Amino acid sequence: MELVILKTDALFFILIASLLAYIFYASKKEHLARPWRTVLRKPMAASALTILAFYLMVAILDSIHFHPEIEGSSSDTPVYSSQVVSLLDEVLKPINKNTETTYSAPFAIYSYAKESRESETGQIIRDYPRLMHAGSHLSDTSEVRSDLIMRSLGALGYWVFAMAILCLILISLRVVKLKSMVSDWQNLGTFFRPSPAQAAAITFAVVCLLISLIATVGPYYHILGTDKVGNDVLFQGVKGIRTGLLIGTLTTLIMLPFAIVLGVAAGYFRGWVDDAIQYLYTTLSSIPGVLLIAAAALMLEVFMTNNAGDFESVTARADLRFLCLCLILGVTAWTGLCRYLRAETLKLKESNYIEASRAFGVLSWSTISQHVLPNLMHIVMISIVLDFSGLVLAEAALTYIDIGVDPSMESWGNMINGARLELAREPVVWWSLFTAFLFMFILVLAANVFADSVRDAFDPRIRELD
Amino acid sequence: MSTPLLEVTDLSVSFGSENVREPVLNRVSFSISRGETVVLVGESGSGKSLSAMSIVRLLPHAARIDSGSILLNGLDLFQLSERQMRNIRGASVGMVFQEPQSSLNPVMTVGAQIAESVRRHQGIRGKKLTERVCELMDAVGINEPHEKSRQYPHEFSGGMKQRVMIAIALAANPELLIADEPTTALDVTIQAQVLELLKAIQAKQNMGMLFITHDLAVARQIADRIVVLKEGQVVETGTNEVFYKAPSHPYSKALFDAIPSWDKRLQEGLAPSLDARATLLTVEKLRVWFPVRSGFFEKKMPPNKAVDGVDLEVYEGETLALVGESGSGKTTLSKAVLQLLRPTAGSVHYADKDLCQIDSRQLRSIRADLQIVFQDPYSSMNPRMLISDIIKEGMNAQNVGDSIKDRDDRAAHLMEQVGLEVGHLKRYPHEFSGGQRQRICIARALAVEPKVLICDEPTSALDVSVQAQILRLLRELQDNLGLTYLFVTHNIGVVAYMAHRVAVMYRGQIVENGYVQQVLQSPEHEYTRALLQAVPRLDNNS
Amino acid sequence: MSSYLTRRILYAFPILIGVNFITFVLFFVVNSPDDMARVHLGNRYVTEDSISNWKSERGYDKPLFIALDSAGKKVFTETIFFDKTVRLFTFDFGQSDSGRDISYDISERMWPSLLISLPVLCLGLLFTLSFALLIAFFRGTYIDSSAVILCVSMMSISGLFYIIGGQYLLSKLLQIVPISGFDDGIASIKFLILPILIGVVGGLGHGTRWYRTIFLEEIHRDYVRTARAKGLSEKGVLYQHVLRNALIPIVTGVVALLPSLFLGSLITEAFFGIPGLGSYTIDAIQSQDFAIVRAMVFLGSVLYILGLILTDVAYTLVDPRIRL
Repeated sequence: MELVILKTDALFFILIASLLAYIFYASKKEHLARPWRTVLRKPMAASALTILAFYLMVAILDSIHFHPEIEGSSSDTPVYSSQVVSLLDEVLKPINKNTETTYSAPFAIYSYAKESRESETGQIIRDYPRLMHAGSHLSDTSEVRSDLIMRSLGALGYWVFAMAILCLILISLRVVKLKSMVSDWQNLGTFFRPSPAQAAAITFAVVCLLISLIATVGPYYHILGTDKVGNDVLFQGVKGIRTGLLIGTLTTLIMLPFAIVLGVAAGYFRGWVDDAIQYLYTTLSSIPGVLLIAAAALMLEVFMTNNAGDFESVTARADLRFLCLCLILGVTAWTGLCRYLRAETLKLKESNYIEASRAFGVLSWSTISQHVLPNLMHIVMISIVLDFSGLVLAEAALTYIDIGVDPSMESWGNMINGARLELAREPVVWWSLFTAFLFMFILVLAANVFADSVRDAFDPRIRELD
Repeated sequence: MSTPLLEVTDLSVSFGSENVREPVLNRVSFSISRGETVVLVGESGSGKSLSAMSIVRLLPHAARIDSGSILLNGLDLFQLSERQMRNIRGASVGMVFQEPQSSLNPVMTVGAQIAESVRRHQGIRGKKLTERVCELMDAVGINEPHEKSRQYPHEFSGGMKQRVMIAIALAANPELLIADEPTTALDVTIQAQVLELLKAIQAKQNMGMLFITHDLAVARQIADRIVVLKEGQVVETGTNEVFYKAPSHPYSKALFDAIPSWDKRLQEGLAPSLDARATLLTVEKLRVWFPVRSGFFEKKMPPNKAVDGVDLEVYEGETLALVGESGSGKTTLSKAVLQLLRPTAGSVHYADKDLCQIDSRQLRSIRADLQIVFQDPYSSMNPRMLISDIIKEGMNAQNVGDSIKDRDDRAAHLMEQVGLEVGHLKRYPHEFSGGQRQRICIARALAVEPKVLICDEPTSALDVSVQAQILRLLRELQDNLGLTYLFVTHNIGVVAYMAHRVAVMYRGQIVENGYVQQVLQSPEHEYTRALLQAVPRLDNNS
Repeated sequence: MSSYLTRRILYAFPILIGVNFITFVLFFVVNSPDDMARVHLGNRYVTEDSISNWKSERGYDKPLFIALDSAGKKVFTETIFFDKTVRLFTFDFGQSDSGRDISYDISERMWPSLLISLPVLCLGLLFTLSFALLIAFFRGTYIDSSAVILCVSMMSISGLFYIIGGQYLLSKLLQIVPISGFDDGIASIKFLILPILIGVVGGLGHGTRWYRTIFLEEIHRDYVRTARAKGLSEKGVLYQHVLRNALIPIVTGVVALLPSLFLGSLITEAFFGIPGLGSYTIDAIQSQDFAIVRAMVFLGSVLYILGLILTDVAYTLVDPRIRL
């Protein structure tokens, strides 16, 4: 296989690296470690963080792209397909490769639409055909229920086994002590007040159970049905994770430098610098956000149409469009945080320790990096986590009006867009919509819950400093 | 012996969450009779405010009354329901709080707020209500009550706001008045007026008064009996006469000893004055005028003349006190001397240079000589920096010390000099108490080896006993290092204790200037006289 | 006050010029008027003549920002930028790229937008404030914590879901109201019920949390302690003191939104087929009609600045401490 690094992949991995660097840095600095510990002490936040971690894992897997080898090419001079495929695609292959012809309901073995076929007696009848892949291992259609139950039990078995192994590993590594674990879990039964570690563990276990079920049942049935062209809906939902996550994070990555540099400069240096920056963000924010994004996306569209030959593959083109969307969103989103940071910097300038700094003759640059920036970071932190969920939701809305991601890219917005009209069909095709909303809801809910805890921990008005 | 108005018996209150509770009041007992003023004296953390709030059951969420009883006219307050308590609050017990700024609703007129209390408990409406409100405002000494009642709190001065608070407390003719540090945030002249007012009203209504303060001199003015609280426990009670003549508990004695005064100064051996020395700093005709923002088409408003033509000389090795009330411009002046604020006009001569005229590079090289210690220990240090970095910041900027190791050594030495442990260098500011933080700030200022140290009310936010320690430290440092202090304060006792010379500031100008002994004993300017008159005394009942 | 207003209006001019500049840059840096003509005429059947015709009809035949071959002041004035900008300031929006009168369209279409956005704002405010007050009254209890969880969950649901779900439930399943569409006069009411209902429900989660935070901040202030010391009941404290002070951030926040009500919600109008300004804009974006987009951006900016001014004025009305 031949590695392919898309532009957004590169940025995403830079982001991951920054996140790891931040974690390392924060663990050393007490004033950062303390609020984070407060955050992690809440069971809801721990649970939300576990879910976010799973989403992140999926996004990382989906960001490692490569050209797969064409079957039958020799090992000395391998020939690669021009298709771009990710690690996640490989992992989900058992589910993905079973495409049907058209819609089918979750767990169905019959197609949604009738087809004409010849019956045994030679007549042409219209009937629901059996699906090509789902349930094709069954000879007798009445066995569906028992088959499902058997497989689910199998999944349960694998899961119990895996959890037990995990517990053994943890105990042997002395991470968890057997006795305290048993007593903690007994206490849990009496009144449901889990500790943060327990909450995270329960969440982890539940997700693993789901994964186990998907892994065992998924290859044989379409758990969430299929869409118009027969693709597995569950697969699409999982693929949409990367899009949703990247919109939230890359946009922030792009937005932060603008907001911080301009906000601090405006508040600290005042004078004409302040006037210029204020003019800039007032002008930008007076343009209705959607219009700005739409105008920019429109222009991108025209540009890409006129320069259609420049892109190597559909994937690269979709990727560029996605990157530009994040850029545009970032450029339009920085004004809010910038304004806030400017106000805080103005307040900070009055504080005594900055005056003491001036009494020492410390240069502006030093004062900003030592005194102003560290005392602003909590606002940045709160802003990042609060904006994340808004951006994920925005993607869906933007895609609807055709200024979101490219249709060839899997995203929840695209799923909703395509599936909207399906509700009008008889019988109702609800599963695409349901899947998109389910995945989106869980991510946004987890992000919101986590964001709340972060805000409570970092907001100096709420937390006790002394 | 009639039943006392208020009887607090074995009150115990604790703080915290379900699992972890900390006792904050431990079996506190005292009583108040009709027409009597009992003063609760204590430092911060002694539990005096909590005792008061327990009486009206307005404790914070995390506090819980563990045991004890409070009887008001024989009625057990702890047995009452919340609804019944609401009838007690305001009607039987009136409260006046410390911060008049924030204790009044900013969007309601003053008259409406007073009327609210009247209406609630006396049920009067309409014209009679307005009359009653004006009557109350009159009684607390607010003239033109009719016009003033339609104004908002932000249009009143601090003293006037406090009068409004008193009017609100008195609205329903309560039997007991609780005043929680009502004059602590006020200037000394205003404080004297408010104390007079409280005494007069109490006498007239024959109310019992529970007065809370940390200031023993204020207590002396107003108390019939004193109750001393230390860390949630009553350590001494006594009548005014007896207590001030001869306090019995060692803590009370320590409190008295900590109060700065002229006598204390002489006892500790500081000279009453210094003989003539070289002039280190000369301020001439200094002006700091702040323009009042006026719009494009608005008429020009006169500027705010915070410092309006000040002349000062500071001699080497002395402590020059700069005294004034709030708004006198003393903090502005001290910042202007350091060029932290650009003066509008005038000059500041130091080492043959005019600080107002030299360029920033030259100024930077002189900065090490002139340093400042601020008033609020809680906001003077970057909460996210380690103490060692805080102390070394100045050294790094001014290139004091030859190497990183040298600077570390100096920082350690400084910590010892100010009486702190070297191991504390690796901690964060929030881990220290107010007094300790001020020591760190002093160490930070000393790190660059200054010649002149401006102390801007460095002890105003500290308890009296901690203040005494810091003042003593400053004196020691002056003796050992030959420092010159420009000491800004509003506390005459501190002036008497610390300073060699004193300059009195009023409305941006120096009205009197001279040796401490002379100015304090025979003041010439009428403002100085009024100021000294208003200072509450420990010796006689004025 | 009048000097403040004058200053603000004068300051608005450079902002609007800046806004216009940005839109121009966005459109024309990447594509020249020739490209735009090609796209509009359909990429295949274009000739040089049809392109120049198209351009001169719409005033795109001049240079963009600077006309280097003109003399004197005409260097700036004989440009597309100057021409269009001056027109915009006189609110002469001209014709859309497909030939319709923009000003007429705007004046027609702003009423349907208002018919939805105004009731959504008023009803939404009524419900969210009441809920937030209720929750503030019960703060610290299970009611408070469960309400917060409910609000966070509702906030986490995409607005699209409310729309689609609402359309499915009430229109398709229960057949109470039509799915989408619009009509004139009284008949329009049946088309408005669903979008208004969904608009209110969708905003409940976020609004209630926001106002709850404001109320809780006020409850912990000193003057509330004074009010309690007067013996007021908890209800009295909430209404007389907390609510009145909380109104300062609430009212100023709402007032800032008022001018934008005219623009309507883009998504709602698109889904419900409401012929308002929101759908007008989306259609223009999708058909790449620059004239309309330019006009709508300008209009949007004017309304935003108006909102800023109204906010400051509102401050003076609700907060006696502020005088302009």
